[in-house]
Amino acid sequence: MGKSLLIVDNSATMRKIIMRTVRMSGLDFDRTEEAGSGVEALQKLQSGPVDVILCDVNMPEMNGTELVKKARQLPSCSGTKIVMVSTESAQDLIDQVMSDGADGYITKPFTPEKFQEKLTPLLN
Amino acid sequence: MVTTVSLKDALLGGAQEVFETMVFMALEEVDVAEECSEDVSLLGSITFTGNIEGCLSIRCGLQCARTIAANMLGTDPCGDLAECDINDAIGEVANMVMGAIKSRVQHEIGTMEVSIPSVVQGREMKHGLGDQANEIVVNVSIEEQYRATFSLLFRESELA
Repeated sequence: MGKSLLIVDNSATMRKIIMRTVRMSGLDFDRTEEAGSGVEALQKLQSGPVDVILCDVNMPEMNGTELVKKARQLPSCSGTKIVMVSTESAQDLIDQVMSDGADGYITKPFTPEKFQEKLTPLLN
Repeated sequence: MVTTVSLKDALLGGAQEVFETMVFMALEEVDVAEECSEDVSLLGSITFTGNIEGCLSIRCGLQCARTIAANMLGTDPCGDLAECDINDAIGEVANMVMGAIKSRVQHEIGTMEVSIPSVVQGREMKHGLGDQANEIVVNVSIEEQYRATFSLLFRESELA
C-alpha cells in the first residue's frame, strides 16, 4: 500500500522545495498534502492519518514542537512518523523535540541524500 | 565573545553553504559593492536575540531574486513566478543563512532566538540598529552574473 506525506511549513516556497527534494531523493509517496500552519496540519490529521509528517519548527501561531505534542495526542497519529525540518541546530532543542515525540530531525540547508538517509529507515 | 572576524567567516561560509546546497548557484565574496543597476531591489531580513542581538539581511536586485527563487523551485526564471514566491524564496535564504551562522557560532555565544523572516521590495533600502551597533557587510557575486549584499548588524544585549 502507498505511503502518504504531509509537509508543514508556513513558507509556501519551502513546502515546494521540500516536495521537490523528496522527489529527487527517490522516495515514493502516493499522496502528498501540505499545511501552511500547525493549526491547519492538526485539522488535516484529525480527518485522517498520514504515514510521514515533515514539519518546520519555527512557525507563527503554533510552532513545530507544539504541533508534535498535539499530534501525538491524536489516536490517528499513533503510527505516524514525524520528522522536523528546520534551520535550528541547537542540540538541546533537537533533544527536546525528539523527547516530545518526533522521530527524526533534518537541518536546513538539506540535500536529497539527507532526506533519503533520514526517511528510508522510518518507511521500512 | 565572538570576534567580528569569526562572525564574518560564519556569514560568508553559511551563505556559500546555502547557495551551493539549496540555490544551486556559486557565490563568491567580492571586494567592492557594485551598485545595482535595477531600480527595485529586495531586502530580506531576519532578527535575532540572545547574548548578542541584531539583524541579518540580504539585498539584491529583482532579477537576481527571481533567478534565486527559480533555482530553489526548479522552475524557469523567465517563467511565471509570482511576486510572493520570489519574496518567500529570499526570506528563506535569509532564514537558512541565519541558521547556518547560528550553527557556526552558538558554541561561543550561546542560544540565539530567531524571528520569522520578512521581505520588502523598494528603492535604496537599508536596515539599521542604532549608533552602537556593529555591522559586517559581505558583498558577493552570484554565478559571476549578479551582485548581492549580506549585512549582519549586531550589538551586545543589555540583558547579557
